[in-house]
Amino acid sequence: MAGRIVMHVDMNSFYASVESADDPALQGKPLAIAGNAKKRKGIVVTASYEARRKGVKPPQPLWEAKKTCPDLLVREPRFDRYREISRQMFQLLLEYTPLVEPVSIDEGYLDMTTAGIRAPDIAASIQKRIMEELKLPCSIGVAPNKFLAKTASDMKKPLGITVLRKRDTKTLLWPLPCREMHGIGGKTAEKLARHHLHTIGDIAAADPDFLERVFGVSGRRMYERAHGNDDRPVDPEAAEQFKSVGHSRTLPKDASATEDILPVLKEMAYSLEKRMKKKHVYASGVQLTIRYADWTTVQRSARLQEPSSGWEPFYQMGRLLWEDYWSGAPVRLIGITGIDLVERGQAQKQLNLFSYKEDQETYEKEKLLNELNRQLGEGAVRRGYFKDSGYQ
Amino acid sequence: MKFTIQRDVFVQNIQHVSKAISSRATLPILTGIKIVAFDDGITLTGSDSDISIEAFIPAEDGDNSNVDIERPGAVVLQAKYFADIIKKLPESTVELTLNDQMVTKIRSGSSEFNLNGQDPDDFPRLPEVEEGSQFTLKTDLLKALIKQTAFAVSTAETRPILTGIHWGMESEKLMCTATDSHRLAMREAGVEESGDVEFTNVVIPGKSLTELSKILDDSEETVDVTVTDNQVLFKATNLLFLSRLLDGNYPATKNMIPSQSKTNIQVPAKQLMAAIERALLLSDGKNNVVNLKSLNENELEITSVTPEVGKVTESVSCDAFEGEELRISFNGKNIIDALRVIESQDVAIQFTGAMSPFIMRPADRDYMLHLFSPVRTY
Repeated sequence: MAGRIVMHVDMNSFYASVESADDPALQGKPLAIAGNAKKRKGIVVTASYEARRKGVKPPQPLWEAKKTCPDLLVREPRFDRYREISRQMFQLLLEYTPLVEPVSIDEGYLDMTTAGIRAPDIAASIQKRIMEELKLPCSIGVAPNKFLAKTASDMKKPLGITVLRKRDTKTLLWPLPCREMHGIGGKTAEKLARHHLHTIGDIAAADPDFLERVFGVSGRRMYERAHGNDDRPVDPEAAEQFKSVGHSRTLPKDASATEDILPVLKEMAYSLEKRMKKKHVYASGVQLTIRYADWTTVQRSARLQEPSSGWEPFYQMGRLLWEDYWSGAPVRLIGITGIDLVERGQAQKQLNLFSYKEDQETYEKEKLLNELNRQLGEGAVRRGYFKDSGYQ
Repeated sequence: MKFTIQRDVFVQNIQHVSKAISSRATLPILTGIKIVAFDDGITLTGSDSDISIEAFIPAEDGDNSNVDIERPGAVVLQAKYFADIIKKLPESTVELTLNDQMVTKIRSGSSEFNLNGQDPDDFPRLPEVEEGSQFTLKTDLLKALIKQTAFAVSTAETRPILTGIHWGMESEKLMCTATDSHRLAMREAGVEESGDVEFTNVVIPGKSLTELSKILDDSEETVDVTVTDNQVLFKATNLLFLSRLLDGNYPATKNMIPSQSKTNIQVPAKQLMAAIERALLLSDGKNNVVNLKSLNENELEITSVTPEVGKVTESVSCDAFEGEELRISFNGKNIIDALRVIESQDVAIQFTGAMSPFIMRPADRDYMLHLFSPVRTY
């Protein structure tokens, strides 16, 4: 894996930036994205840099944010819009290389090894085009691997371009506290501190065998990262090779009623359907994640009657799980995941004697579709969607 | 109450009524067996919310003396302890004596137990079976009807009505139907002298009939059946078996049977069963999927694959083949279940395309029919 060039593109306060791009009146103003803006009870999920400079620290209750920044402008989140912009952003990245690995809605890796020494110029071009065409700021890290690229993109926000070389590890990374290393969370940092490892430099100087004994495989990984090593390839398929597809959402305000949860669940089920269909997979089961206001998290799953990619079974099963397992306490985050995925062509369903005619129809339609596509070229004909329901 | 009884007869009858006793009974007293001594014999009763069973042990049975009754009386004893105690007693006879504190002394040889009993008046009376539709079935036929349908009931609680077997009587013919919505078993039986008894939507819990089948004595000639609105009573010489019926409407099943077919085959049941059983060794997932393909007019190919493990190919010669070529996937285990109860050398199978249910029945008889849904790959 010698001589690679990896870029990490990270959109700056993505939701807030999209809102400013869509509404010039918001530009350059302190802006917060929060649910239930009108009631002042919501939670700030993202804030513009102007707002952050004035002390707004998401996630934070809206009333508190308003106190530190009285002229704070507030907008409610529009997730469909963010997904659409995200799609356009990745489309733009794909013009530079097919080796784009999306990580989340607002960040991704690019393998730009072929760019050679022009890589920083290309990074500048990407940043400029995203700014001009989408009116969105991003930070880009350029490095020999994913870990360093991600670390680099974090160094200058907003609108930074940071080139990080392996030899910079010693001066730039080692003085930082362990927590600053991507992949090290609060719990791990505490555990490291108990072993007197406080900085990334401490990890780099530690005995890798000792780290592996204490932390398992991730111990070995920490050691490698501390030395600036990371041989994970940029894999455009990475998002496809998953055992599950899921969505979760931090609620704009802690929810204590089923009526507040179900619409969110339904919306996530729609997106789940879209993603599964795009990836040509079906889920054999559904998992529901409930995180309560005190951060205790429960995950419960159930098998579907048959592998499915339709929002309806996801929603229905999610709802059943919710009804069975919700403790009644306020909920901060809700997530729904399709699990035990099977690829198209591998899913099997035992037809129902009472309702097999529905399957016959689907089967006939698919046969016709395949036939047409064979004659006209793949993708020439697709199934339509009713826009409102998201259901075919 | 005081009597001396043959231990083996006692044990057998206790086991029968125990089938109706649940350790999680809604009423605590229903965890017990009610024992009543009359002058001419003993009755044992066990009951839960679904089933009640009453067994009668006659004092004299032909030349045998089962029980010697000194004093009539009644008591309810904890089934869990009582059944095990009687089973383990040392001698071939047991003596039961009830004192006025409801304590029952059980003696056999050198062994003596004192069990606290409960008041028999607290034991719920068996529901009175009012006038209902009445007919008589031969015991072996009744057992066959149960065996050939009960396996197909649903075990899932999603559609409770499908956990039962539907009985319908029309023009002296009893039709029994069970389905879990992926396979369906139908068995018809002529019931002579059922007079003008006709009924439909009598849905008996599959579990009730399975238990009944276990305790019906083969030596018994016939069983009288009485069907009322909410229960069914089976009455043999020394046995009463009462089950509640399931509430709700059983789905219409007659129109589910395809009337036309595209491919008809006839195959030896044993070979088909053996081939599918082997194919199932490599079938993937919970659907037990097996694929069937017609190679030519007298040969079928049965295959099954688990991608990481391997593939099996079986060939089965068929006695008859007519109609279109065939390629279909199905749940092999369901076919095996049906083949086990089809007591015929050859089976006839009628297919109506890869996406339609197909019928299997004994080649030489038409009183039995099995319907299966195919498996769709997508």
